[in-house]
Amino acid sequence: MAVDHLNLKIGHEVFGLLGPNGAGKTTLQRMLVTVLAPTEGTATVAGADIVHEADKVRERIGVVTQASTLDIELTALQNMNLYGMYYGIPRKERQEKISELLKVVGLADRAKIRVAGYSGGMKRRLEIVRALVSDPQILFLDEPTTGLDPQARAAVLEYVEKIHKEHGITLVITTHYLDEAENLCDRLAIVDRGKIVAEGSPTELKRKISGGDIIEADFSSLPDTALQALQSADFVLSVKKRPGGLTILVKNGAEAVPKVVSLVDSKGGKLRTITLRELTLDDVFLEVTGRSLRE
Amino acid sequence: MKGALAVCLRDIQKFLGQPVLMVSTIVGPFLTLILLGSAFGGAITHAPIAIVQDSYGPYSSDFIGILRNQQTCQFGGINCQNSFQLTNVPDLDTARRMLHEGLVKAIVYVPLGFDDSLAANSKVTVTITLDNTDPLSAAAIGPEVAQAGQQLSSLIQTSSADNSNMTFDLEDAYRDVLYIEFMAPGTFVQAIMFVSIIAGGVQLVVDKERGIIEGYLVTPLKKYEIVLGVLLSGVFKALFSAVTVFILAVTIAGVRPMSIFPNPNVSEIALIFVTLLLTALGLIAMMTAYAVRSTSADLYRVTCFPINLILYYTSGAIYPLNGMPVWMQEVSVINPETYSVEALRLLMYKGANLQAVIGDFTFLGIFTGLMLVLAIVAFRRGI
Repeated sequence: MAVDHLNLKIGHEVFGLLGPNGAGKTTLQRMLVTVLAPTEGTATVAGADIVHEADKVRERIGVVTQASTLDIELTALQNMNLYGMYYGIPRKERQEKISELLKVVGLADRAKIRVAGYSGGMKRRLEIVRALVSDPQILFLDEPTTGLDPQARAAVLEYVEKIHKEHGITLVITTHYLDEAENLCDRLAIVDRGKIVAEGSPTELKRKISGGDIIEADFSSLPDTALQALQSADFVLSVKKRPGGLTILVKNGAEAVPKVVSLVDSKGGKLRTITLRELTLDDVFLEVTGRSLRE
Repeated sequence: MKGALAVCLRDIQKFLGQPVLMVSTIVGPFLTLILLGSAFGGAITHAPIAIVQDSYGPYSSDFIGILRNQQTCQFGGINCQNSFQLTNVPDLDTARRMLHEGLVKAIVYVPLGFDDSLAANSKVTVTITLDNTDPLSAAAIGPEVAQAGQQLSSLIQTSSADNSNMTFDLEDAYRDVLYIEFMAPGTFVQAIMFVSIIAGGVQLVVDKERGIIEGYLVTPLKKYEIVLGVLLSGVFKALFSAVTVFILAVTIAGVRPMSIFPNPNVSEIALIFVTLLLTALGLIAMMTAYAVRSTSADLYRVTCFPINLILYYTSGAIYPLNGMPVWMQEVSVINPETYSVEALRLLMYKGANLQAVIGDFTFLGIFTGLMLVLAIVAFRRGI
């Protein structure tokens, strides 16, 4: 089951659905945008019911799907114009809106070039503003930066943020990128195996893990006695094994680092590297699901 | 050299991994053999002929009896079939109208005084009016009728030295129609079919595979609007192709429709356009319905080839239906292209009016209606 009995409330915000590939994020989003009918239950999107008032929902939302739906044989202008026509927007209003939107994402000077000649990042930007032609209340973005190089990603994210700020649109973004979720989203739901396992702002989510810091320690050798000693030490909250070393959650990182070093040393272990870092959403994900997003 | 072997192996492995493609390379040529081989060069049998009789007596009824029982045999005497299918018509005017509307291929006129002249051992001439817009049928019918005349003469056993008092006057009802002209209407229909295959429904399948249809579905567009839009654009493209081929045929290939030469007739040209329009709408809707239900674009493309072959060869586009085996004639009855080709020939070379083609239009209209419903239903379910 891709989506399994979940409850979710999204306000006027940038909301992120974070989870690994196959977690059910896209399925959930396809239900919300009325492409897929839920077998059970329903949802209200932009004030309309996704099951019984699908038409109303479609009029009020904009959707950017994971796979591109641009007509690459056509120019940006033609793509946008057709989309506006699908929504029945009058010609004059449509044209004004399109030229304004193309400026927003820096494509105004390329408006009359066939989309086939666009870079991946340009295509994405075009697709995002195309979904804005109809002035939606909510914009759904499914993995908006997947497959883009870092530079193009940064540009797309910058424009997405700008759109949210300038147009005041609610954004629902599915992603498996931690930085995207952390920097862009006001609130997040962590999705795993079709269920929402945690929900809240990035800060709230991180606060859910009692403790403060993470120590990443790699070892040349680590006897079982050393591992056991670490696990039972009072300054350690949890120890998770990963290839090559341990991820240790501690209350106070600055105090804990020398303690870890001396403890391992006293039990005959040999440290290769030790680093201290702040909690990330991946740690939250690891904590609530037992797996890492990076796997 | 090892590299070449590896590339070769890769291609063969990929080919074997696609059984549909493999089968199509075999089915296509084999179907062509069966269809083209059966369609072409078959003896014309059961040719519909109008008999107008102005003389009644033993000789004329013998003559008509011989015509009725005349056999055309193939393969050296096996597989014999009646040469003609006779219809008795009261007068020449009615017969000419029937010829004009394509109901009969020839008129055999038994003139006043036929029996008396033969009884008196004097000369008599039988007129055969041929629908030469079907040059192959016309070429076959004339000699066949003459053969019946000879048979009658030998039956009478005339006493005179020259063994026949009967002569035949072969008369073409229309100006000469070349084979290329006979074949031309099928080509326009073919242009429509090609567009239906490559630019009609398959665009939808490709869009579906690329996820573009999902992009449509999240907009307020209704499904019926999507399918109607696709059909409309298909009809536009098909007509563009068919009309272009028509113009090329007339300007370059030497096709000279009566409806244009020497004096253009607006209503006939309009009816030609209506025929193309109905054909386009029907075939586009048919292929759209089929495409939407196809599981993949590849499978669709591969199966379209034989579908096109069957429709084209059984439509009478390249050879008269009367010369085809029974099974092909049966297919031709339900083949929409048959009716398009027939209507186009009537309009192009006979200067037919609406009444002459109304039967063809009725079939095409019903077919188109059915296909539209099918396309919309398929679209609702399939996308």
